[in-house]
Amino acid sequence: MTAQLQITPTVTIPEHLTSEVQSKLAYVDEAILRARVAGDGITLELREQATGSRRGELEEKVQRVVTMMVQGAFRPKVQIPEDHLDRPVPYSADPNPDLLARGEMFQEASGIYTVGPLVTRLIAFFEGQFVALADSFGAAPYRFPALIPARYLERVNYFRAFPHSLTFVTHLREDLEAIDDFAQHAACDEHGLTTPSGSFAKFQTLLSPAVCYHLYFSLADKPLPGGQLAATAVGNCFRYESINLASLERMWNFTMREVIFVGPKDFVLQNRETGRQRTAEFFEKIGLAYRVESANDPFFIGEFKKQAAFQSAFQLKFEIRAKLPFKDSTLAVGSYNYHQDFFGRSLNITLPDGSPAHTGCIAFGLERMAFAFLAQFGLDVVKWPDAVRKSVMGEE
Amino acid sequence: METMIEKVQALIAEALQVPVEQIPPELAFGGLKQWDSMGHMGIMLLLEERFGVPIDTDVIATLTSVAAICKYLEEPVFSEKTGS
Repeated sequence: MTAQLQITPTVTIPEHLTSEVQSKLAYVDEAILRARVAGDGITLELREQATGSRRGELEEKVQRVVTMMVQGAFRPKVQIPEDHLDRPVPYSADPNPDLLARGEMFQEASGIYTVGPLVTRLIAFFEGQFVALADSFGAAPYRFPALIPARYLERVNYFRAFPHSLTFVTHLREDLEAIDDFAQHAACDEHGLTTPSGSFAKFQTLLSPAVCYHLYFSLADKPLPGGQLAATAVGNCFRYESINLASLERMWNFTMREVIFVGPKDFVLQNRETGRQRTAEFFEKIGLAYRVESANDPFFIGEFKKQAAFQSAFQLKFEIRAKLPFKDSTLAVGSYNYHQDFFGRSLNITLPDGSPAHTGCIAFGLERMAFAFLAQFGLDVVKWPDAVRKSVMGEE
Repeated sequence: METMIEKVQALIAEALQVPVEQIPPELAFGGLKQWDSMGHMGIMLLLEERFGVPIDTDVIATLTSVAAICKYLEEPVFSEKTGS
Protein backbone atom coordinates (compact mmCIF):
# COMPACT_ATOMS: atom_id res chain seq x y z
CA MET A 1 0.00 0.00 0.00
CA THR A 2 1.33 3.45 -0.89
CA ALA A 3 2.08 6.01 1.78
CA GLN A 4 2.83 9.71 1.96
CA LEU A 5 5.85 11.38 3.48
CA GLN A 6 5.92 15.13 4.14
CA ILE A 7 9.29 16.85 4.31
CA THR A 8 9.99 20.47 5.13
CA PRO A 9 13.20 21.50 3.35
CA THR A 10 15.87 23.09 5.53
CA VAL A 11 16.48 25.61 2.75
CA THR A 12 13.84 27.61 0.92
CA ILE A 13 13.26 26.42 -2.64
CA PRO A 14 12.93 29.48 -4.90
CA GLU A 15 10.03 29.38 -7.33
CA HIS A 16 12.26 29.21 -10.40
CA LEU A 17 13.79 25.94 -9.11
CA THR A 18 10.55 24.22 -8.06
CA SER A 19 10.05 22.10 -11.17
CA GLU A 20 13.76 21.22 -11.45
CA VAL A 21 13.89 20.03 -7.85
CA GLN A 22 10.63 18.13 -8.26
CA SER A 23 11.88 16.31 -11.35
CA LYS A 24 15.19 15.38 -9.70
CA LEU A 25 13.47 13.91 -6.62
CA ALA A 26 12.44 11.04 -8.90
CA TYR A 27 16.03 9.81 -8.80
CA VAL A 28 16.55 10.01 -5.05
CA ASP A 29 15.19 6.60 -4.13
CA GLU A 30 13.36 3.73 -5.82
CA ALA A 31 10.67 3.92 -3.14
CA ILE A 32 9.42 7.26 -4.50
CA LEU A 33 6.39 6.95 -6.77
CA ARG A 34 5.57 10.64 -7.02
CA ALA A 35 7.04 13.87 -5.74
CA ARG A 36 5.43 17.26 -5.39
CA VAL A 37 7.15 20.46 -4.39
CA ALA A 38 4.89 23.27 -3.20
CA GLY A 39 5.22 26.34 -1.08
CA ASP A 40 4.57 24.42 2.10
CA GLY A 41 7.10 21.68 1.50
CA ILE A 42 7.73 18.40 -0.28
CA THR A 43 5.23 15.58 -0.50
CA LEU A 44 6.48 12.17 -1.51
CA GLU A 45 4.24 9.27 -2.41
CA LEU A 46 6.06 6.08 -1.47
CA ARG A 47 5.57 2.46 -2.51
CA GLU A 48 5.09 1.58 1.15
CA GLN A 49 5.21 3.17 4.57
CA ALA A 50 8.69 4.28 5.64
CA THR A 51 9.37 4.27 9.37
CA GLY A 52 12.35 4.63 11.69
CA SER A 53 15.76 4.63 10.09
CA ARG A 54 14.31 4.12 6.60
CA ARG A 55 12.27 7.29 6.97
CA GLY A 56 15.35 9.13 8.27
CA GLU A 57 17.39 7.89 5.33
CA LEU A 58 14.81 9.15 2.83
CA GLU A 59 14.55 12.53 4.54
CA GLU A 60 18.32 12.91 4.60
CA LYS A 61 18.61 12.10 0.88
CA VAL A 62 15.88 14.56 -0.05
CA GLN A 63 17.39 17.33 2.10
CA ARG A 64 20.80 16.70 0.53
CA VAL A 65 19.48 16.95 -3.02
CA VAL A 66 17.47 20.10 -2.28
CA THR A 67 20.42 21.77 -0.56
CA MET A 68 22.81 20.89 -3.39
CA MET A 69 20.47 22.34 -5.99
CA VAL A 70 19.40 25.45 -4.10
CA GLN A 71 22.37 26.74 -2.13
CA GLY A 72 24.43 29.21 -4.12
CA ALA A 73 22.23 28.81 -7.20
CA PHE A 74 22.28 31.70 -9.62
CA ARG A 75 18.89 33.15 -10.41
CA PRO A 76 18.32 32.80 -14.16
CA LYS A 77 17.13 35.78 -16.12
CA VAL A 78 14.33 34.52 -18.33
CA GLN A 79 14.38 35.97 -21.83
CA ILE A 80 11.19 35.73 -23.89
CA PRO A 81 11.84 36.65 -27.53
CA GLU A 82 8.34 35.54 -28.61
CA ASP A 83 5.11 35.31 -26.65
CA HIS A 84 1.96 34.07 -28.40
CA LEU A 85 0.43 32.19 -25.49
CA ASP A 86 -2.71 34.30 -25.71
CA ARG A 87 -3.57 33.13 -29.22
CA PRO A 88 -7.14 31.79 -29.05
CA VAL A 89 -7.40 28.04 -29.61
CA PRO A 90 -10.63 26.04 -29.95
CA TYR A 91 -9.96 23.20 -27.49
CA SER A 92 -9.28 23.09 -23.77
CA ALA A 93 -9.94 19.50 -22.67
CA ASP A 94 -7.34 16.84 -21.87
CA PRO A 95 -6.69 15.01 -25.17
CA ASN A 96 -5.36 11.87 -23.46
CA PRO A 97 -8.70 10.10 -22.83
CA ASP A 98 -9.74 10.76 -26.43
CA LEU A 99 -6.39 9.54 -27.76
CA LEU A 100 -6.70 6.31 -25.77
CA ALA A 101 -10.38 5.75 -26.60
CA ARG A 102 -9.80 6.15 -30.34
CA GLY A 103 -6.76 3.89 -30.35
CA GLU A 104 -4.58 6.85 -31.36
CA MET A 105 -2.26 6.27 -28.40
CA PHE A 106 -1.34 2.95 -26.84
CA GLN A 107 1.01 2.54 -23.90
CA GLU A 108 3.35 -0.45 -24.15
CA ALA A 109 5.20 0.41 -20.95
CA SER A 110 6.12 3.47 -18.94
CA GLY A 111 7.33 6.08 -21.42
CA ILE A 112 6.85 3.79 -24.42
CA TYR A 113 3.93 4.53 -26.71
CA THR A 114 2.66 3.63 -30.12
CA VAL A 115 0.44 6.10 -31.94
CA GLY A 116 -2.39 5.51 -34.40
CA PRO A 117 -3.06 6.67 -37.96
CA LEU A 118 -4.30 10.20 -37.26
CA VAL A 119 -1.43 11.07 -34.91
CA THR A 120 1.02 9.45 -37.32
CA ARG A 121 -0.28 11.60 -40.17
CA LEU A 122 -0.16 14.68 -37.96
CA ILE A 123 3.45 13.92 -37.04
CA ALA A 124 4.22 13.46 -40.74
CA PHE A 125 2.72 16.89 -41.42
CA PHE A 126 4.96 18.57 -38.85
CA GLU A 127 7.91 16.53 -40.01
CA GLY A 128 7.30 17.80 -43.57
CA GLN A 129 7.29 21.40 -42.35
CA PHE A 130 10.53 20.96 -40.44
CA VAL A 131 12.19 19.28 -43.42
CA ALA A 132 11.12 22.31 -45.48
CA LEU A 133 12.75 24.52 -42.85
CA ALA A 134 15.94 22.46 -43.17
CA ASP A 135 15.76 22.73 -46.96
CA SER A 136 15.56 26.52 -46.67
CA PHE A 137 19.10 26.38 -45.25
CA GLY A 138 20.25 23.91 -47.89
CA ALA A 139 20.82 21.43 -45.06
CA ALA A 140 22.36 18.13 -46.15
CA PRO A 141 20.30 15.09 -45.14
CA TYR A 142 21.78 12.45 -42.85
CA ARG A 143 20.59 9.19 -41.26
CA PHE A 144 21.89 8.32 -37.82
CA PRO A 145 21.62 5.12 -35.78
CA ALA A 146 19.64 4.72 -32.57
CA LEU A 147 22.75 3.29 -30.89
CA ILE A 148 25.68 5.42 -29.84
CA PRO A 149 29.08 4.21 -28.60
CA ALA A 150 29.79 4.80 -24.90
CA ARG A 151 33.21 6.23 -25.74
CA TYR A 152 31.55 8.98 -27.80
CA LEU A 153 29.35 10.09 -24.90
CA GLU A 154 32.33 9.93 -22.56
CA ARG A 155 34.23 12.30 -24.81
CA VAL A 156 31.57 15.01 -24.47
CA ASN A 157 31.18 14.57 -20.71
CA TYR A 158 27.65 13.18 -21.04
CA PHE A 159 28.00 10.65 -18.22
CA ARG A 160 28.75 13.44 -15.78
CA ALA A 161 26.11 15.87 -16.98
CA PHE A 162 23.12 13.54 -17.56
CA PRO A 163 23.75 10.17 -15.85
CA HIS A 164 20.14 9.90 -14.67
CA SER A 165 18.67 9.76 -18.17
CA LEU A 166 21.01 7.23 -19.79
CA THR A 167 19.66 4.10 -21.47
CA PHE A 168 22.15 1.26 -21.73
CA VAL A 169 22.43 -1.42 -24.38
CA THR A 170 24.14 -4.75 -24.04
CA HIS A 171 24.01 -8.30 -25.38
CA LEU A 172 24.74 -11.76 -24.07
CA ARG A 173 28.38 -12.62 -23.73
CA GLU A 174 29.76 -14.67 -26.58
CA ASP A 175 29.94 -17.74 -24.38
CA LEU A 176 28.02 -20.93 -25.13
CA GLU A 177 27.31 -21.72 -21.49
CA ALA A 178 26.18 -18.18 -20.71
CA ILE A 179 23.82 -18.20 -23.69
CA ASP A 180 22.46 -21.65 -22.79
CA ASP A 181 22.05 -20.57 -19.16
CA PHE A 182 20.13 -17.48 -20.25
CA ALA A 183 17.88 -19.45 -22.60
CA GLN A 184 17.06 -21.90 -19.82
CA HIS A 185 16.52 -19.50 -16.95
CA ALA A 186 15.56 -16.04 -18.20
CA ALA A 187 12.06 -15.19 -17.04
CA CYS A 188 9.97 -12.08 -17.28
CA ASP A 189 7.31 -10.83 -14.89
CA GLU A 190 5.67 -7.47 -14.28
CA HIS A 191 8.83 -6.21 -12.59
CA GLY A 192 11.08 -7.01 -15.53
CA LEU A 193 13.45 -9.63 -16.84
CA THR A 194 15.30 -11.85 -14.38
CA THR A 195 18.50 -13.29 -15.77
CA PRO A 196 21.36 -15.50 -14.60
CA SER A 197 24.25 -13.46 -13.23
CA GLY A 198 27.13 -12.87 -15.61
CA SER A 199 24.96 -13.11 -18.70
CA PHE A 200 25.79 -9.75 -20.20
CA ALA A 201 28.74 -8.19 -21.95
CA LYS A 202 30.24 -4.91 -20.77
CA PHE A 203 28.34 -1.83 -21.93
CA GLN A 204 29.93 -0.52 -25.08
CA THR A 205 26.84 1.14 -26.44
CA LEU A 206 23.88 3.20 -25.31
CA LEU A 207 20.68 4.36 -26.94
CA SER A 208 21.28 7.80 -28.34
CA PRO A 209 19.94 10.74 -26.28
CA ALA A 210 20.14 13.24 -29.15
CA VAL A 211 20.37 13.40 -32.92
CA CYS A 212 23.06 16.03 -33.51
CA TYR A 213 25.77 14.21 -31.51
CA HIS A 214 26.17 11.70 -34.33
CA LEU A 215 27.00 14.48 -36.79
CA TYR A 216 29.59 16.01 -34.47
CA PHE A 217 31.25 12.65 -33.94
CA SER A 218 31.40 12.06 -37.69
CA LEU A 219 33.27 15.37 -38.02
CA ALA A 220 35.69 14.72 -35.14
CA ASP A 221 39.48 15.03 -35.32
CA LYS A 222 39.66 16.72 -38.68
CA PRO A 223 39.17 20.09 -40.34
CA LEU A 224 35.53 20.88 -41.14
CA PRO A 225 35.11 20.41 -44.92
CA GLY A 226 34.21 23.75 -46.50
CA GLY A 227 34.48 25.55 -43.17
CA GLN A 228 30.76 25.41 -42.44
CA LEU A 229 27.93 22.92 -42.65
CA ALA A 230 24.15 22.80 -42.37
CA ALA A 231 22.71 19.32 -41.92
CA THR A 232 19.45 17.70 -40.93
CA ALA A 233 18.28 14.35 -39.64
CA VAL A 234 15.40 12.75 -37.80
CA GLY A 235 16.06 10.08 -35.23
CA ASN A 236 14.91 8.12 -32.24
CA CYS A 237 16.12 9.60 -28.95
CA PHE A 238 16.07 8.00 -25.54
CA ARG A 239 15.99 9.78 -22.20
CA TYR A 240 14.89 7.88 -19.12
CA GLU A 241 12.83 10.14 -16.89
CA SER A 242 11.64 7.73 -14.21
CA ILE A 243 8.34 8.71 -12.60
CA ASN A 244 8.30 11.91 -14.64
CA LEU A 245 7.48 9.90 -17.78
CA ALA A 246 3.93 10.74 -18.84
CA SER A 247 1.86 10.26 -21.98
CA LEU A 248 3.18 11.73 -25.23
CA GLU A 249 4.33 14.70 -23.15
CA ARG A 250 7.36 12.93 -21.72
CA MET A 251 8.42 9.72 -23.42
CA TRP A 252 11.43 7.50 -22.87
CA ASN A 253 11.67 6.85 -26.61
CA PHE A 254 10.75 9.79 -28.83
CA THR A 255 11.68 11.20 -32.22
CA MET A 256 13.40 14.47 -32.96
CA ARG A 257 13.96 16.32 -36.21
CA GLU A 258 17.02 18.51 -35.99
CA VAL A 259 18.55 21.16 -38.22
CA ILE A 260 22.21 21.36 -37.29
CA PHE A 261 24.80 24.05 -37.94
CA VAL A 262 28.57 23.68 -37.66
CA GLY A 263 30.99 26.49 -38.48
CA PRO A 264 32.07 29.93 -37.28
CA LYS A 265 30.17 31.53 -34.41
CA ASP A 266 28.32 34.06 -36.58
CA PHE A 267 27.22 31.36 -39.04
CA VAL A 268 25.70 29.28 -36.25
CA LEU A 269 24.05 32.15 -34.38
CA GLN A 270 22.66 33.82 -37.50
CA ASN A 271 21.14 30.56 -38.74
CA ARG A 272 19.69 29.79 -35.31
CA GLU A 273 18.00 33.19 -35.35
CA THR A 274 16.81 32.84 -38.95
CA GLY A 275 15.42 29.40 -38.06
CA ARG A 276 13.52 30.89 -35.14
CA GLN A 277 11.94 33.55 -37.38
CA ARG A 278 10.94 31.02 -40.06
CA THR A 279 9.47 28.71 -37.43
CA ALA A 280 7.50 31.62 -35.99
CA GLU A 281 5.96 32.22 -39.42
CA PHE A 282 4.86 28.58 -39.59
CA PHE A 283 3.37 28.61 -36.09
CA GLU A 284 1.50 31.81 -36.90
CA LYS A 285 0.07 30.17 -40.02
CA ILE A 286 -1.38 27.28 -38.02
CA GLY A 287 -2.38 29.46 -35.05
CA LEU A 288 -0.34 27.65 -32.42
CA ALA A 289 -0.33 29.24 -28.96
CA TYR A 290 3.24 29.19 -27.64
CA ARG A 291 6.12 31.22 -26.46
CA VAL A 292 9.87 31.04 -26.82
CA GLU A 293 11.85 31.44 -23.62
CA SER A 294 15.40 30.92 -22.41
CA ALA A 295 15.98 27.60 -20.71
CA ASN A 296 18.59 25.15 -19.56
CA ASP A 297 19.16 21.46 -20.12
CA PRO A 298 18.13 19.08 -17.31
CA PHE A 299 21.60 18.52 -15.88
CA PHE A 300 21.93 16.12 -13.00
CA ILE A 301 22.12 17.41 -9.46
CA GLY A 302 25.89 17.84 -9.07
CA GLU A 303 26.29 19.72 -12.36
CA PHE A 304 22.99 21.52 -12.32
CA LYS A 305 23.80 24.83 -10.66
CA LYS A 306 26.85 25.70 -12.70
CA GLN A 307 25.81 24.38 -16.10
CA ALA A 308 22.27 25.71 -15.94
CA ALA A 309 23.48 29.15 -14.88
CA PHE A 310 26.06 29.16 -17.66
CA GLN A 311 23.44 28.30 -20.29
CA SER A 312 21.17 30.99 -18.94
CA ALA A 313 23.85 33.66 -18.75
CA PHE A 314 25.06 33.06 -22.29
CA GLN A 315 21.54 32.50 -23.71
CA LEU A 316 22.58 29.19 -25.18
CA LYS A 317 19.18 27.54 -25.14
CA PHE A 318 15.69 28.76 -25.97
CA GLU A 319 12.69 26.46 -25.74
CA ILE A 320 9.52 26.61 -27.80
CA ARG A 321 6.88 26.09 -25.13
CA ALA A 322 3.43 25.31 -26.51
CA LYS A 323 0.35 25.97 -24.44
CA LEU A 324 -1.46 23.02 -22.86
CA PRO A 325 -4.84 24.60 -22.09
CA PHE A 326 -6.15 21.58 -20.18
CA LYS A 327 -3.55 21.94 -17.45
CA ASP A 328 -2.86 25.65 -17.73
CA SER A 329 0.79 25.02 -18.44
CA THR A 330 3.22 24.74 -21.33
CA LEU A 331 5.20 21.95 -22.95
CA ALA A 332 8.61 22.26 -24.62
CA VAL A 333 8.07 21.09 -28.20
CA GLY A 334 11.35 22.31 -29.60
CA SER A 335 14.47 24.28 -28.87
CA TYR A 336 17.02 26.60 -30.41
CA ASN A 337 20.47 25.64 -29.14
CA TYR A 338 23.95 27.09 -29.35
CA HIS A 339 26.82 25.08 -27.87
CA GLN A 340 29.54 27.67 -28.43
CA ASP A 341 32.72 25.74 -29.30
CA PHE A 342 32.08 22.95 -26.76
CA PHE A 343 31.81 20.18 -29.37
CA GLY A 344 34.46 21.76 -31.57
CA ARG A 345 36.92 21.68 -28.69
CA SER A 346 35.86 18.35 -27.19
CA LEU A 347 35.92 16.57 -30.53
CA ASN A 348 38.65 18.54 -32.24
CA ILE A 349 36.53 19.83 -35.14
CA THR A 350 38.53 22.68 -36.64
CA LEU A 351 37.77 25.61 -38.91
CA PRO A 352 40.13 26.62 -41.75
CA ASP A 353 41.95 29.05 -39.41
CA GLY A 354 42.62 26.21 -36.97
CA SER A 355 40.16 27.40 -34.32
CA PRO A 356 37.48 25.04 -32.96
CA ALA A 357 34.14 25.01 -34.78
CA HIS A 358 31.00 26.33 -33.13
CA THR A 359 27.81 24.29 -33.24
CA GLY A 360 24.11 24.77 -32.77
CA CYS A 361 20.86 23.07 -33.63
CA ILE A 362 17.16 23.60 -33.93
CA ALA A 363 15.36 20.57 -32.55
CA PHE A 364 11.70 19.57 -32.68
CA GLY A 365 10.16 16.80 -30.59
CA LEU A 366 7.68 15.32 -33.04
CA GLU A 367 5.37 13.47 -30.64
CA ARG A 368 5.29 16.46 -28.32
CA MET A 369 4.56 18.77 -31.24
CA ALA A 370 1.58 16.62 -32.22
CA PHE A 371 0.41 16.31 -28.62
CA ALA A 372 0.52 20.07 -28.02
CA PHE A 373 -1.38 20.65 -31.26
CA LEU A 374 -4.06 18.15 -30.21
CA ALA A 375 -4.26 19.76 -26.77
CA GLN A 376 -5.06 23.08 -28.49
CA PHE A 377 -7.22 21.86 -31.38
CA GLY A 378 -8.62 18.49 -30.27
CA LEU A 379 -9.00 15.32 -32.33
CA ASP A 380 -11.91 16.60 -34.41
CA VAL A 381 -10.17 17.49 -37.66
CA VAL A 382 -13.03 19.80 -38.68
CA LYS A 383 -11.78 22.23 -36.04
CA TRP A 384 -8.20 22.12 -37.22
CA PRO A 385 -6.59 24.98 -39.15
CA ASP A 386 -7.09 24.56 -42.90
CA ALA A 387 -3.39 24.14 -43.64
CA VAL A 388 -3.10 21.24 -41.23
CA ARG A 389 -6.40 19.55 -42.02
CA LYS A 390 -5.91 19.64 -45.78
CA SER A 391 -2.45 18.17 -45.54
CA VAL A 392 -3.28 15.50 -42.96
CA MET A 393 -6.56 14.48 -44.61
CA GLY A 394 -5.14 14.54 -48.14
CA GLU A 395 -7.51 17.31 -49.28
CA GLU A 396 -4.77 19.09 -51.23
CA MET B 1 50.57 45.02 -1.66
CA GLU B 2 48.75 42.68 -4.04
CA THR B 3 47.19 44.50 -6.96
CA MET B 4 43.69 43.81 -8.21
CA ILE B 5 44.99 42.02 -11.28
CA GLU B 6 47.15 39.76 -9.11
CA LYS B 7 44.19 38.99 -6.86
CA VAL B 8 42.08 38.07 -9.87
CA GLN B 9 44.84 35.96 -11.42
CA ALA B 10 45.24 34.07 -8.14
CA LEU B 11 41.51 33.54 -7.82
CA ILE B 12 41.15 32.24 -11.38
CA ALA B 13 44.13 29.93 -10.86
CA GLU B 14 42.53 28.56 -7.70
CA ALA B 15 39.13 28.08 -9.36
CA LEU B 16 40.64 26.34 -12.37
CA GLN B 17 43.16 24.43 -10.27
CA VAL B 18 46.17 25.49 -12.34
CA PRO B 19 49.41 27.32 -11.39
CA VAL B 20 49.00 31.10 -11.36
CA GLU B 21 51.74 31.32 -14.00
CA GLN B 22 49.19 29.94 -16.46
CA ILE B 23 46.93 32.96 -15.94
CA PRO B 24 48.45 35.87 -17.91
CA PRO B 25 46.70 39.27 -17.70
CA GLU B 26 45.35 38.88 -21.24
CA LEU B 27 43.76 35.46 -20.59
CA ALA B 28 40.09 35.07 -21.53
CA PHE B 29 37.39 32.39 -21.53
CA GLY B 30 38.49 29.47 -23.68
CA GLY B 31 42.13 30.56 -23.62
CA LEU B 32 42.91 27.70 -21.30
CA LYS B 33 41.42 24.21 -21.52
CA GLN B 34 40.20 24.48 -17.95
CA TRP B 35 38.38 27.77 -18.57
CA ASP B 36 35.36 26.12 -20.15
CA SER B 37 31.73 26.47 -19.07
CA MET B 38 32.24 24.58 -15.81
CA GLY B 39 35.50 26.39 -15.14
CA HIS B 40 33.83 29.72 -15.79
CA MET B 41 31.07 29.02 -13.30
CA GLY B 42 33.66 27.89 -10.78
CA ILE B 43 35.34 31.29 -11.17
CA MET B 44 32.01 33.05 -10.71
CA LEU B 45 31.19 31.12 -7.54
CA LEU B 46 34.61 31.83 -6.07
CA LEU B 47 34.30 35.50 -7.00
CA GLU B 48 31.06 35.71 -5.05
CA GLU B 49 32.57 33.92 -2.10
CA ARG B 50 35.90 35.76 -1.90
CA PHE B 51 34.92 39.27 -2.88
CA GLY B 52 31.43 39.20 -1.44
CA VAL B 53 29.95 40.73 -4.56
CA PRO B 54 26.78 39.40 -6.14
CA ILE B 55 27.29 37.83 -9.55
CA ASP B 56 23.97 37.51 -11.29
CA THR B 57 23.29 35.94 -14.65
CA ASP B 58 23.36 39.34 -16.36
CA VAL B 59 27.05 39.76 -15.69
CA ILE B 60 28.24 36.15 -15.91
CA ALA B 61 28.39 36.43 -19.69
CA THR B 62 30.42 39.65 -19.51
CA LEU B 63 33.12 38.52 -17.06
CA THR B 64 34.96 36.46 -19.64
CA SER B 65 38.52 37.72 -19.21
CA VAL B 66 40.95 38.67 -16.49
CA ALA B 67 40.61 42.29 -17.56
CA ALA B 68 36.80 42.23 -17.52
CA ILE B 69 36.73 40.74 -14.02
CA CYS B 70 39.20 43.37 -12.76
CA LYS B 71 37.13 46.15 -14.32
CA TYR B 72 33.95 44.80 -12.71
CA LEU B 73 35.53 44.57 -9.27
CA GLU B 74 36.96 48.06 -9.58
CA GLU B 75 33.55 49.62 -10.22
CA PRO B 76 32.85 52.11 -7.39
CA VAL B 77 29.89 50.08 -6.12
CA PHE B 78 32.17 47.13 -5.39
CA SER B 79 35.58 48.68 -4.78
CA GLU B 80 34.72 49.45 -1.17
CA LYS B 81 33.94 45.80 -0.48
CA THR B 82 36.96 44.48 -2.32
CA GLY B 83 39.29 46.95 -0.67
CA SER B 84 40.63 48.26 -3.95
